[in-house]
Amino acid sequence: MVGKSASAVAVIAPRQEKTFWQKIKEQKVLVLWALIFFVFGFIFYYLPLGGWVIGFQDYKPKNGLFGSQFIGFDKFIQLFSDVTFLRTLRNTLCMGVLNLAFCFVTAIAFAILLNEVKSNGGKKVVQTISYLPHFLSWIIVTGILHDMLSGSGIVNEILVGLHILDQPLNFFAYPQLFWGIVVFANIWKETGWNAIIYLAAITAIDPSLYEAAQIDGAGRWSRIKAVTLPGIRPIIMIQLLMNVGNVLNAGFEVQYLLGNGLVQSVSQTIDIYVLKWGISQGDYAIGTAAGIFKSVVSIILIVAANQIAKRSGEERLF
Amino acid sequence: MANTATARKIKSTTSDKVFTVFNTIIMVLFVVITLYPVLNTLAVAFNDGTDALRGGIHIWPRMWTMNNFTTVLQKENLLTGAKISVLRTVLGTLFSLFLNAVLAFIISRKEFVFQRSLSLFWVITMYVNGGLIPVFLLYKALGLTNSFWVYVIPGAISCYNMLVIRTYMNNSIPNSLVESAQIDGAGYTTIFVKIISPLCKPVYATVALFSAVGQWNSWFDAMLYNRMSEKYTTLQYELMKLLSSVTNQGTSAEAMKNAAGAVTPTSVRAAATILTMLPIVCLYPFLQKYFVQGLTLGSVKE
Amino acid sequence: MRKAMADFLAVLMVLSLAACGGGGESDSGVKEFTAFFAVPGSEINSDNEIQAMIAEITGAKCKETWLTGQTAAEAVGTLIAGGEYPDFIDGSDATQQLYEAGALIPIDEYWDDYPRIKEFWSEQQWDQIRRDDGHIYWIPQFGRINEVATTTTPDEAFWIQVRVLEWAGYPKLETLDEYFDLIERYQAANPTMDDGTPNIPYTILCDDWRYFCLENPPEFLDGYPNDGSVIVDTDTMKIVDYNTTPTAKRYFAKLNEEFQKGIIDPESFTQTYDEYIAKLSTGRVLGMVDQYWNFGYDVTDALKQAGLDQKGCNYIPFGLTIDKGIHNRWFTGGSIMNGANGLGITVSCEDIPGALQFIEDLLSPEVTTLRSWGVKDVDYMVGEDGLFYKTPEQRANTANTAYKASHVCSYSYFPGYLGMNPDGINAARPDLQPGEFYDALSDDVKKCFDAYGVQTYVQMLGVNDIPGPWFPMYSHSNNMTTATPGGVAWTRIGEIKHEYLPKVVLSSDFESAWNEYLEAYASAKPEDFLSEMQTELDNRLALAAKYE
Repeated sequence: MVGKSASAVAVIAPRQEKTFWQKIKEQKVLVLWALIFFVFGFIFYYLPLGGWVIGFQDYKPKNGLFGSQFIGFDKFIQLFSDVTFLRTLRNTLCMGVLNLAFCFVTAIAFAILLNEVKSNGGKKVVQTISYLPHFLSWIIVTGILHDMLSGSGIVNEILVGLHILDQPLNFFAYPQLFWGIVVFANIWKETGWNAIIYLAAITAIDPSLYEAAQIDGAGRWSRIKAVTLPGIRPIIMIQLLMNVGNVLNAGFEVQYLLGNGLVQSVSQTIDIYVLKWGISQGDYAIGTAAGIFKSVVSIILIVAANQIAKRSGEERLF
Repeated sequence: MANTATARKIKSTTSDKVFTVFNTIIMVLFVVITLYPVLNTLAVAFNDGTDALRGGIHIWPRMWTMNNFTTVLQKENLLTGAKISVLRTVLGTLFSLFLNAVLAFIISRKEFVFQRSLSLFWVITMYVNGGLIPVFLLYKALGLTNSFWVYVIPGAISCYNMLVIRTYMNNSIPNSLVESAQIDGAGYTTIFVKIISPLCKPVYATVALFSAVGQWNSWFDAMLYNRMSEKYTTLQYELMKLLSSVTNQGTSAEAMKNAAGAVTPTSVRAAATILTMLPIVCLYPFLQKYFVQGLTLGSVKE
Repeated sequence: MRKAMADFLAVLMVLSLAACGGGGESDSGVKEFTAFFAVPGSEINSDNEIQAMIAEITGAKCKETWLTGQTAAEAVGTLIAGGEYPDFIDGSDATQQLYEAGALIPIDEYWDDYPRIKEFWSEQQWDQIRRDDGHIYWIPQFGRINEVATTTTPDEAFWIQVRVLEWAGYPKLETLDEYFDLIERYQAANPTMDDGTPNIPYTILCDDWRYFCLENPPEFLDGYPNDGSVIVDTDTMKIVDYNTTPTAKRYFAKLNEEFQKGIIDPESFTQTYDEYIAKLSTGRVLGMVDQYWNFGYDVTDALKQAGLDQKGCNYIPFGLTIDKGIHNRWFTGGSIMNGANGLGITVSCEDIPGALQFIEDLLSPEVTTLRSWGVKDVDYMVGEDGLFYKTPEQRANTANTAYKASHVCSYSYFPGYLGMNPDGINAARPDLQPGEFYDALSDDVKKCFDAYGVQTYVQMLGVNDIPGPWFPMYSHSNNMTTATPGGVAWTRIGEIKHEYLPKVVLSSDFESAWNEYLEAYASAKPEDFLSEMQTELDNRLALAAKYE
C-alpha cells in the first residue's frame, strides 16, 4: 500500500511522454464514459442552474423565468443590508462549524471504539442500535428532547438530585445554551449513522498490520493511533473536505422545532430566514439569492480546503 | 518467539483491561442514550392516541392499543406505494451503485487526462442547486414528470457516494494489482469488473445502504412530480399525506379552525415511523456483515 | 445468484404493471374532477362510500389532494410554472398568485344558472372580493352561517377551570384583575391537585403562529372584536395599533406582576404546542387564553378519558375587559367572510358548467346533510321530533381515521353552511347539534352553566353582531407579503413581538423591558403597516357605502 501513488505514474506512462491524443486514444473507454457522465451531470445539475436568474429578477410565476423583470443585485443588497439576515448568517456559520467539529469527531471516535469491541455479537448489536435514531424524524427527536429537558424532565431531575442545580433549569430559555442543544441533538441522532462509513473503511485495514503492531508490543491505544487512524485517514480527509463545504447548511428543522421567541436571535438559520422572508411570502428571488450565496461560499471553501489538502499531501476532492 | 509474544501479551493486559472496561462502559452508555428515542417511539406507537396527549410516556405504553398501526395500515394505496417503493429502492440502488462505481473508477485513475476536471465538475454539483421550479420545468420537459423514472434517473449519481468509493479504490486497493493486470494487457473494463469491483464489496455495501435508505425514505419527489399519478405513489408519500393531514406542526389558524379537531395524533406518527423503519432494520444485517466483520483482504492483496 | 436477481426484478416489474392497471375508470357517466387545496388535509379513499352516494345524486365526484410538506406558495408556484392545474383549487395564502397568473376563471360570468352559488354570499360581500377587473374568481367557503346555532363553539377567551369557579362560588369575572385575583386566591388555598400534582396557575402558549395567546388580548380587553391584527376605532373609523396602547401596557404589566408572584408557568415561552396540550390534558393548568379550536377538541377528550372532567378540570370561557363597564366583544356571530382565498375553478377545467353544477349540487339540502351528518341510520339517527342524534357507536366512528377515509366525505374545502342545517331544525354539523352538545358536556360543566344561568359556552361570552362591513381586517393582513412596505413591517413586527413580549413578561424590571420593546417595535416601522391597513379599511368602507 505504501508508495503506490508514486508508482502509478511510472507504470501508466512508461518510457517516453505520450502526446495528449495518444493518451486519449489509450484511454478511450474512460473518455467515453466520462463524456456520458459529463452529459448526465450537465443536464441534471448544471442546466437547472439557469434558474439562478430568478435571484436577479423580480420573479413572478405568471411571467415565468423568461418574462420576469430584471432587477440586478437588488435582492443581494437587500439581504446584506438586513441585520436579521446577517444574524442568521452568523448563527448558521457557528452552528455549522460546531456541528462539523463535534459530529465529525464523535462519529470517528465511535467507529474506532466500536471496532475495539471484541465480541462480534456485541459489535453488531451496538451498531444496529446506534444508527436507529437516524430514521426518526426531527419532529419526534426534538419532541423527546423537549420532554427530557423540560422542568420535570429527567435531566433536571438528575441535576437537581445531584445538587448541581437548586431548581429546574428551563434549558430553552437561554440563548447561550441553544447551540449546544442543537449540536447535542445532531450527535444524538446521527453519530451511529455517520460512523458507518468509517467502520467500512476500518474493515479494509490489513489485519496483518495489527498483528505486527501487537508483536511490537503496542497496546490497544497505541494500535489505534498507529494503525486504525492512519488507515482511515483518507476517508476522514474526504469527509472533512466535503463537510467544510456544507457549513452553511446547518439545517432548518432542528432549529425551527427547538427554537422559540426568547432564543430566536441565535436560533434562526439562513434556511429559516428564507422560508420566512421568501418562500412563504411568494418571494422566490430572496430564496434563490440566498441559495446562490450559499453555493458560492461553499465552492470557495472547498476549493481552499482542497488546496490546503493538496499542499499537505492529503487525500483531496479533485 | 512464542514466549516473548506471550510475555508482551501479559504485560499489555492490564492497560488493555482498563481500556476494555472503559470502552464497554462507553458503548453501554451510548446504547442506552440512542435506544431511548427508539423505545419511546415504540411505546407511543402502541399507546392510545388521546391518552398519549397527556405526555409522560417513556419506554412503556400506558394504554395499550394496536389502533395506531391499523389506522396507518388501512391507508389506501399503501400497497401500491409499497410496491413502487420496493421497486425504486431496488432499481434505484442498483443503477446508482453501478454509475457511482464506474464514475469513481474513472476518477480514481490518476493517469486519466480529464481526471481533475471531471472531479471538480462533479464536486461542484454537491453545492449547487437550481431551485424547485427550474428543476420541475426541466423534468417536465424531459418527460420525467408523471413517470416512475423520475425516482431512478435524475438522482442516480451522488457525488458524495462516488467520492466515498473513489477514496476506497485509491487507498485500500493495492495499485500493484492494477499494474500487473495492465502489463498482462487487461483493458479498463476488465480491470474495473474483474479486479477492482470484487475488492470493493465493503464500500459498495456501504454506498448501497446509503442509496437504499435514501430511496426508501424519499417522498418529496413523489409529491412534486407524481402528485397526479396515483400509480407511482410511494409508501413514504402515502404516509406523509396521512401524517400531514392537519398535524400540530406548521399549519395556520385558518386550517386548524376549519379542520375543527381533525388532528392526526402523535401516536399515529410514531406508528408510521416504526413501520417504515422495519424494512431497513431487517435489511441491515445482510449489509452489515460486509462492514463489521471485515473482509480478509490481506490474503487477496498478496 | 444473478438469475435470482433477474427473476426478482421481473416479478417486481409485473407487480408494478399490475398495480398500474388497477386504477381504472369509474362507473358509467360519473364525471371525475380533481382538486388541490394548498392546506394540509385528510385524503379520503377512492372507494369512499358517501362520495359514491354524492356521485349518484350529482353525477360527479372530485378527487381531492392536499398540501404535503410544502408551503402554499411553493406548491402553487410549481403548479403555475408547470401550467397544469387541477379543476378546482384553493391556493390558500397564494391565491393572489393564481389570479395574477391567470389560472382562474371568472366565476361571476357563469353563475347566473347556479343560484346557490350566487346567493352563497350577499351581493355586498361578493363585491368585497371582486378583483380590479370587476370579476370574482373564488368562493370563500367558510363562515357562511344559515342561522346562528346556539351551540356554536366560542373562539378566543380567557379560560378558567370549573373547579376554581366552584371553589369561589361561581363569581362573575369581568376584568383581568378579577381573573388573576381569583386564580391567586385559589392557588394559595389549593396549591395541588387531589393526587398531589402541583397546579400550574396560568400558562401561555407562545409557539410560532400560536403566540396570539400572548399577544392579542389587548384588543379584546379594550372591548374590540377580533379584527386580528389591528383595532378599528368605530368612532373615527381609524386603524388603531393595539400593540402599544395603555391597555397593552397594563396587560403586560399584569402578566409581569403575576410572573413575579409565581402564578405564570415559567415554561410558557419555551413550551411547544404538544407540551402545552399535554399540560392542559393533565388538568394541572387553572387558566389560559386560547381559541377553542386550538385546544378544546383534544383536551376535552383527554380530560374525559382520564376522568378529570369529574374533578372540575374542564374550562369555562370569560370575556374579560381591562376595566369594568366596557362591553366585551370576544365573540362575534353572523356570517364572517374571509375573502382572501376560496375555492376557484382553473383554466385547465374542461367542463366549467359541470364544475359549477357540482358546487351547486353540493349545497343542496340533501347533499349538505350527507356531507356533514352522513347517512341516515348509519351515521346518525332521527328522533321522533325530527332531530338528528348519534349513538355512542356512531360518535366513536367519527373519530376513527380509517372509518373516515373509507366512509365519510365532507368535501370540506367546498363551500358549506355553518350554523343550522337548511332544514332549520338541525345544526349544520353534528358537534353543533344541541342534543349532541349537551350529551357531550360533563356534569361539572352543566352544573357550572346552571350556576351562571346559561346553556352554552357562547352564552358565557355573549354574542355580538358583526361590527361593520370591514370585518374582519385580518383577512387583509394575513395575506400581506413582503412585496409591500406594509407587509415587510408586518413580518418584522411579528418577529419583534415574538422576541420582546416574553422578555417583557419575564423581566424583573418591567418599565425598562417595556421601553426596550417599544424601541424595537418602532424600528419595525409599524406606521407602514398601519397606513396600508387604513387604506384597506377606507376601501372597504367606500365599497360598503354603495349599499347604504
